[in-house]
Amino acid sequence: MKQIANFIVNGKPYEMAIEPHMLLVEVLRDELGLTGTKCSCGIGHCGACTVLIDGIPALSCLTLASTARGKNITTIEGLAEGITLHPIQKAFIDYGAIQCGYCTPGMILSAKALLDRNPSPTREQVKQALSGNLCRCTGYVKIVDAVMAAAETMKKGGK
Amino acid sequence: MSEELSVVGKRIIQPDAAAKATGAAMYASDMKMPGMLIGKVLRSPYPHARIKKINKSKAEKLLGVETIITPEDVAQWQGFDRGLKDLPMVAGGYLVPPEEHVLNERARHFGDAIAAVAAINEHVAEEALELIEVEYEQLPFVIDPEEAMKPGAPQISESAPGNIGKRMSYPFTEGDVEKAFGEADCVVEGKFSTTKQAHCTGETAAAVASLDSSGKLKVWSQCQLPHLGRREIAHIFNMPVGMVELINPFVGGSFGQKLSICAEPICIALTLKTGRPVKLVHCREEDFTSLETRAAFRYDVKMGFKQGGALAAMQIYMIGYAGGYLARAPMASAIAMVYGLGHYRCPNRAGEADIVITNTAMGGAFRGFGNPAIMWGIEQLVDEAAEKLGIDPLEIRLKNIKKAGEIANMGLTLESSYLEECIKGGAKAIGWTEKRGKKKEGKLRRGVGMATMTHSSGAAPLYLEHSNAFIKFNEDGSANLVVHPGSPGTHIWGTLSQIAAEELGIRAEDIHIVTGDTDVTMFETGSHASRSTYTIGNAVLRAAREAKGQLLERATKILGVSFDELEIKDRQVYVKAKPEKAVSVAEVVRGSIYNFEGECLNISGKCSWESKFNSPPTGAFFAEVEVNVKTGRVKVVKFVTAIDCGKAINPMTVEGQLEGSMQQGIGYSLTEDYVINKDSGVVESDNYDNYKMPGILDMPEAEVIIIDKPDPKGPFGAKGVGEPGMVGVAPAIANAIYDAIGVRIEDLPITPERILKALEEGNQ
Repeated sequence: MKQIANFIVNGKPYEMAIEPHMLLVEVLRDELGLTGTKCSCGIGHCGACTVLIDGIPALSCLTLASTARGKNITTIEGLAEGITLHPIQKAFIDYGAIQCGYCTPGMILSAKALLDRNPSPTREQVKQALSGNLCRCTGYVKIVDAVMAAAETMKKGGK
Repeated sequence: MSEELSVVGKRIIQPDAAAKATGAAMYASDMKMPGMLIGKVLRSPYPHARIKKINKSKAEKLLGVETIITPEDVAQWQGFDRGLKDLPMVAGGYLVPPEEHVLNERARHFGDAIAAVAAINEHVAEEALELIEVEYEQLPFVIDPEEAMKPGAPQISESAPGNIGKRMSYPFTEGDVEKAFGEADCVVEGKFSTTKQAHCTGETAAAVASLDSSGKLKVWSQCQLPHLGRREIAHIFNMPVGMVELINPFVGGSFGQKLSICAEPICIALTLKTGRPVKLVHCREEDFTSLETRAAFRYDVKMGFKQGGALAAMQIYMIGYAGGYLARAPMASAIAMVYGLGHYRCPNRAGEADIVITNTAMGGAFRGFGNPAIMWGIEQLVDEAAEKLGIDPLEIRLKNIKKAGEIANMGLTLESSYLEECIKGGAKAIGWTEKRGKKKEGKLRRGVGMATMTHSSGAAPLYLEHSNAFIKFNEDGSANLVVHPGSPGTHIWGTLSQIAAEELGIRAEDIHIVTGDTDVTMFETGSHASRSTYTIGNAVLRAAREAKGQLLERATKILGVSFDELEIKDRQVYVKAKPEKAVSVAEVVRGSIYNFEGECLNISGKCSWESKFNSPPTGAFFAEVEVNVKTGRVKVVKFVTAIDCGKAINPMTVEGQLEGSMQQGIGYSLTEDYVINKDSGVVESDNYDNYKMPGILDMPEAEVIIIDKPDPKGPFGAKGVGEPGMVGVAPAIANAIYDAIGVRIEDLPITPERILKALEEGNQ
């Protein structure tokens, strides 16, 4: 039996009818067409489906959509302002931190949650913050480089 | 040469990176089409079983189910030939009997495809799977290849008596190994085994198929050999190749798995049955249990050395694990021997392999293709010989590595090798002389170890090495480059753009890649064997050269000088002796396209390139490990990969390939254990909760050293670099463990249990 639910996704309010068993990742990808959020393992072990719920990283493949009603959900599509990329997105591009790109949205959102609460992390703190996000391509080195560089840019108020 | 380069050698960002950073990149899994159905597959819960009866009536009645197909519905289609038809038959022949079908009436492994559903959404499709009633006749099964070779073992394939699917011989046998072993001063031998490794691509296998009103089939596919994939699809479904269009959207990782078509056949079958677009996306468990993994091996290696360390003889016998069907395990075994026996200078070499069918998922291609598996044993034995002969591991390798001009692993000339520089540079970076062979005590013991390798840039002359490139200029001075490598995120689009831009005297961002559609691109073997930069790059370079020739020819008329007096740089054609006399590339192109003097020409260049040579990349690997002798846990503290991949077209990309390889290599070495229950045949490691691929905290301090010296045959001196970084990781770690705790581990992965067992045996 479908229920009416309200979500705030990337700052915009949405009202839609959802099944009670629907996962947040399904609502985002299938209902809203926000396919930047990826589903890779389906059991909450890889972090590809990471989104921010009220600024906190959450695994959308394990989150019942109904539990996110009324909350602020940020997906990768919500980071850039128009065509201006967020500094973390720009750093991932500039530092070669993206290969196949499937883990990238989740990685960037985990990094954003970190930098929003800790603008000057150490490399070790970056690793801890990204330890729930698996990447099969890069070996993570350039991902850490990118997050460190983004932190510098953001501290200077750069875009 | 490098001083003159303006695009090659630069850390240029990738043309596809922004789409991936913003979530705009469209993967097959993300696609949606009007009227699109969702496909799901019913898979065998048994490792070996005959399907006696399938009752689909309950499932068919479910609201939203469009079709259900079973083996009898796909009987008119052909078995998979792995796209190998017409490819060279070296090394005893790679051709495999086409026994695997779209759906199979006898399941030969856990996870084998039995039936499939197309429904309006995923939930309905999954519910329908539950309602399909299958009556199985369970058959005796065998998981272990050595058991499968014994008399009386369950027979799996009609064409493989004794379960031996193929016998392969090393194609470059030389000398008299028996005699040479007799005359050797030091003979070392070992029995090694490696494990199946799951690819764990970010995106699981996914495909979308649709049929247009003319009957033409469009397939959005992850295949990294796109034209060969199209050929195989046409073969399976009895269609002319021209009626199949294979399109590569963004692909979430590949690593060799997508040499084969994966989700495509069942997806296409559902489209052909319904006439509607179908999307089929695997869940992670299906990827683990039904797709090809890295081929696993069990093998014996024997090496004979002369006093002083010269290698005199090598012999290998391998058992390659094919799995339920022969896929790429025969080729992987032959190529493992080619790499293993061809790395060092050795006058007496021989090798044989039996490829054994068992009731497991197939062994196939994964980064390195047999090379990581065979060097796992060889590089440990070289260390053992060095110890016996009283020579430093570095020295014994420096003595035996091949030099440029000698015959390389695949029988062609070793065009260049800077392996000596790799060994010396890597040793310095790890602190070899300070750390090696020091006395260890306490609970945590550190050691350093190393390994070397030679890989290949493509597989000439053992495989079809045919690439095509087409370049056309636009009136703004930019150019479209039409090529078709696989596109799983290897930065190959950027690399090829840099090669084209350098030759044309324009910027990398002036190259707009057109790719991913077999109706548009010319034939391309695709991306495998670390060939794309080298082989497609050579095609691109020559296509660019032709376009440049046309451009300069036109410019001679504008500048009033002869062809040889002209050069292009910074998007300007100028007179070499008088650089201020110049015309922009854009102006030359514009004047040729909008030409009112009866000389219209769209300046362009094309090259069909067949690589007749092969410049193998070489490399050295150094590990520093810390072993906990109480728990058996191994931590890689530092890892150094020193690579000779010729000129690095984009050093950032090269580093990325090597750092990624390092991670996959560390997983292969220590934690990635593909577990099949011997009693039930069930794959127990089917997701990341029970299969451990390295996370960010598992990575050591990583250092990459790029020698960056040009090869004479590669485009701007480049060689392949996609796979080499994987090859020597495991033996370097094993040799470091030996340095730390004095025990040898012969079986992968190096689990804490194996360490503790070896320590226990060592103490007895």
